[in-house]
This record gives sequence, C-alpha cells and structure tokens, in this order.
Amino acid sequence: MLQLDAWRPRVTPAPLGAINHNVPDSFERLFLQEYPKVVAIAYRVLADRPAAEDVAQEVFLKFHRRLSPDSEWASGWLHAAAVHSALNVIRGERRRAQRESAHALDPAQTSTANPERVVEEAEGRREVRRALRRLPQRTAALLMLRYSGLSYAEVASALGIKVGNVGTLLRRAEDALRKEVNRATSE
Amino acid sequence: MRHLSDGTLRRIYDEPLALTATDQAHYETCAECKTRFQAIATTARAASALLELPAFAPESGAAFRSVQARIQREEAARPPRWYERWLGRTTLSLRPLATPAIAVLLAAALATGFAVSGAAGSLIRVFEPHSIVAVQVSPSDFAGTGAMLDYGEVTWLPAAPRPQLLSDAAAARAQSGLPLLTPAALPNGVSGPVSFGVVSHTKGSLTFDAERLRASAAQKGVQVNPMPPTISGSTLIVNAGPALIEVWGLSASAAEAQIPTLVIAQTRIPTVDSTGATAAQLEDYLLSQPGVPPDIAAQLRAIKDPTSTLPVPIPKGLATTQPVQVNGVSGLLIKAAIGAGVVWEKNGVIYAVGGQLTPDQVLAIATTLH
Repeated sequence: MLQLDAWRPRVTPAPLGAINHNVPDSFERLFLQEYPKVVAIAYRVLADRPAAEDVAQEVFLKFHRRLSPDSEWASGWLHAAAVHSALNVIRGERRRAQRESAHALDPAQTSTANPERVVEEAEGRREVRRALRRLPQRTAALLMLRYSGLSYAEVASALGIKVGNVGTLLRRAEDALRKEVNRATSE
Repeated sequence: MRHLSDGTLRRIYDEPLALTATDQAHYETCAECKTRFQAIATTARAASALLELPAFAPESGAAFRSVQARIQREEAARPPRWYERWLGRTTLSLRPLATPAIAVLLAAALATGFAVSGAAGSLIRVFEPHSIVAVQVSPSDFAGTGAMLDYGEVTWLPAAPRPQLLSDAAAARAQSGLPLLTPAALPNGVSGPVSFGVVSHTKGSLTFDAERLRASAAQKGVQVNPMPPTISGSTLIVNAGPALIEVWGLSASAAEAQIPTLVIAQTRIPTVDSTGATAAQLEDYLLSQPGVPPDIAAQLRAIKDPTSTLPVPIPKGLATTQPVQVNGVSGLLIKAAIGAGVVWEKNGVIYAVGGQLTPDQVLAIATTLH
C-alpha cells in the first residue's frame, strides 16, 4: 500500500466548485418555473383559487411519481395534466354548483364590490363552467390552455397537435363555447 | 392567391408576429380576409369576456414547500419499488452512511491503498472497483438501522439519483447512454415484455462533520467514537451511474412485490474521491464505530485492495458464492435457493445478471450478451 500522506497537500475545505450546496434540484427548478402556469390553467377551468392550487399541487405530485424533471416533455405533460385534471373536477363533482356559489360570492374572487355586479359575475362564471362541461374534452382543454396564457406552441405541445392547427381548433372552440352559453341562456 | 385560413386569421389576433411574410402581404391587400378577420376577432373577444376572471398570482415558494413535504412523507411511507430493491436502496443514497453497519460497507470502498485521481490533483481516488468480493452479512447486522446518525452534510449535483421506470427500449438507451444488452437465447420461463430502469449519472458529496455526528448521537442516545479532526471537514465525492437495468417477468406498472424472472444490469463503475481524510483513516474510524459487527469489520479489513474491490453483500446462510470467469474476466457467481446471479466488471462497466434461474443459465446468459 502506498503511503501518500507525507507529501499530499492538505486540501482546504470546499474545493468543489462544482458542488454548490444552494443549487435547487431539477424538480424545484421545474416547479418554480411551471407552477404559476399550472395554477393559471386550473384556475381558468375552475374559477376557484383554492381548488386550482389543490389541482396544481396534485399534478406536480403525480408528475414527481412518474416523470423526470429533465424530460423534454415535462412542461407539456404538466399543462395537459392540469387542464384535464381540472376539467375532470368540474365534470365529476356533484356538488360543484354549491361550491361555485360559495366561492363565486366570495369578495376576494370578484372584480368589483358592487353587489349586483358580484351576483351577475358569479352567475356568468357558473354558466361558463356548465358550458365547458358540455363541450368535448379536447375542445374545452384547448380553450382553457390558450386562455390561461399559453402560447400556440405550448398549447400544441400539451395537446400533441401541430402548431399550425391550433388557430383553426381555437376558432372552432370559441364558436362552440359561445353557442353553448347562448343556448343555455336562451333556454 | 388563396385566402388565409380561419386558423391563420385567428392566430393573427393572438400572435401577429407569427404570420409569414407571404401571408402578411396577402392580408394587407385582401378585403375579404380582413372582413373574415373582424368576425373571428369578435368571436375571440366574446370568448375572452366569457372566460375572464379576476387576476390571481399564486405563491410558488410556499406551494413548493407543501409539495416537497408531501413527497417526503410519501417516500418515507412507500415500500421500495422492485427496481430499487434490485439496485439496492442503500446504493442510491448516502443517507444510509449514517448507519454504522452500512457505513462499514462504504468503508470497504474507502479503505486503504490510494491512487491519485487524474482529474484533480488535490483529490484522492479512494474507490474505483475493478474486482468483486463477497461480504457475508446476516439480516441481524442491519437490525439497528433505526438509529440513523447524521455524519455530515450530504449534497447531490444536480439531484439525488432517482430511478426511472420505462417500458420503451429506445428511451431507456437514450436516457442512460448505455447499450441494451441482449442474451443469445432466453431460458424457458423467461418471456414477456421487458421493463427498463434507468438511473442517470449523479455526483454526490458527504462532508463529515464531527459536531453533527455528536449531536445526532446524543439525540438518539447512541454511543459513538468522536469523529477525529482528520476526518471532520473532509469531503467524499461520489460519482455514480448511469445505470441501466433490463427486467423480464414484470408488468411495467407493477410497483409491488414481484420477483423478476431475469434481470440484466449495467452501470459505469462508481468512484469515490476524498478531499481530506485518507482512506486508511476513514476505514479505521468507521470500522471502530460501536454497532459495527466484528465479523463484517474483519471481512472488510481482510480485503487486500479495497480501493479497487467492490464488496457485494451476500446474505449469510441464504446464498453461497464462487469465483467464475465471464468472457475472460473474473466474476462472482452467487447461488441461492430462489435463483442465481453473476457480477463482473469489464472496461469500466459493472455488469450483473440474475433471476429465478440456475447458475448454468445465468452464466450462459452472461457469456452471450451482445
């Protein structure tokens, strides 16, 4: 066995420039980058802040169990999971109407303090949620992703479609939403 | 010229800069397209009004802490996944270093005999295995794993290795950067889809800290020998992975107790470098810790060249081992009632083949991998 202690220079602490104790790991970086978007998507669907945050956190947990944060599909997966999870909530929740009622009248969730306007806005949101429930899942997903602020490229990536098709599908989805809302209000 | 499609007109409303020069030129001069655009824009504005919500800026930091806490709770509660059991969870984290009995296994890796790392003159390569030896352990040696002690600061770059389960061969190959290994023939009873486990290359460090060890031992009421100043402050740098594991006999979604019929694993040899304490000092200290079974300590001290020897824990009484030749290199054949396995190192890669098979079957597979 070689005895190298005699000449080996004593290494001062922290010689490892490569190891930075404060570097966030890939999952944390991905989370901080994508969480606002994932919440925005869920919020656009649910119109309910706490429920949107619940959905977003569940989406990240599911992601952590299944995928690597370094995956090139990470963002698209998160966006798709967020919109589908949130749509499943409004489609599956039996007592959604009551919950919407409660949240919609919460002053923190409204854009105005005018009581009449508050009621009107709340009813409008309920109507839109009902219309979303009736739209085909893919149509509703596309609308929600785009109106959450995702670019055409991000929407395409989340839904696995070509960027060039997003405009066409969005145009049809907006038409479909307007017709659903009009049909409901005229009934 | 053809008019612009509804989709293109809709995109102009949101992303006008995405329009090609040709489409832009057409739009500027086409009254019909402009009229259609107005109708599309009206619909878009109506949809936007319907979907409008009060602004909401979530607090990402708090949300991350909440999710992180849930992940930690889940990780602590869940049983190890099949591929973690095969990899050995103890090799995936430096955390078990805190358990004296397991620390001894690392000590074997760190023990005596040095080679200066070529990459950095100030570091000492204390472990780079090129041969394999069995270390007999009994389950009772690890019975005290409840007393997890904190030997110092553990960090990972970029992150702690996390095995990924894949069902796609191409993705497994791409992600690991290692070639898929295929036996010339599969024995009877081995069939079905192959699942893949991939662990990316990771660098980790453990900086020994005498005060942290003292405090954690005091907190847990465990007697430990004080960490000498020659060790405290030293950092061990572990380079491990990538690793690629091919598994037959499991469905890709199975996470619970199933025993694979065949596993073929490969990993680049791990290395450990030290910035301060010598391997001899580490060996002397770790092997002298209370709780280290004398039998294991003796086996590890007996390893002639621990720097280049990989100790493979073998359950005492449940398996036997014998040296074998695999395509011209020395390997270790492990024979147990439930199956057999063989481990060998060649050209900087450690290979393992095992499963519910006879020793002859695993050797036949090992020698015909391509």
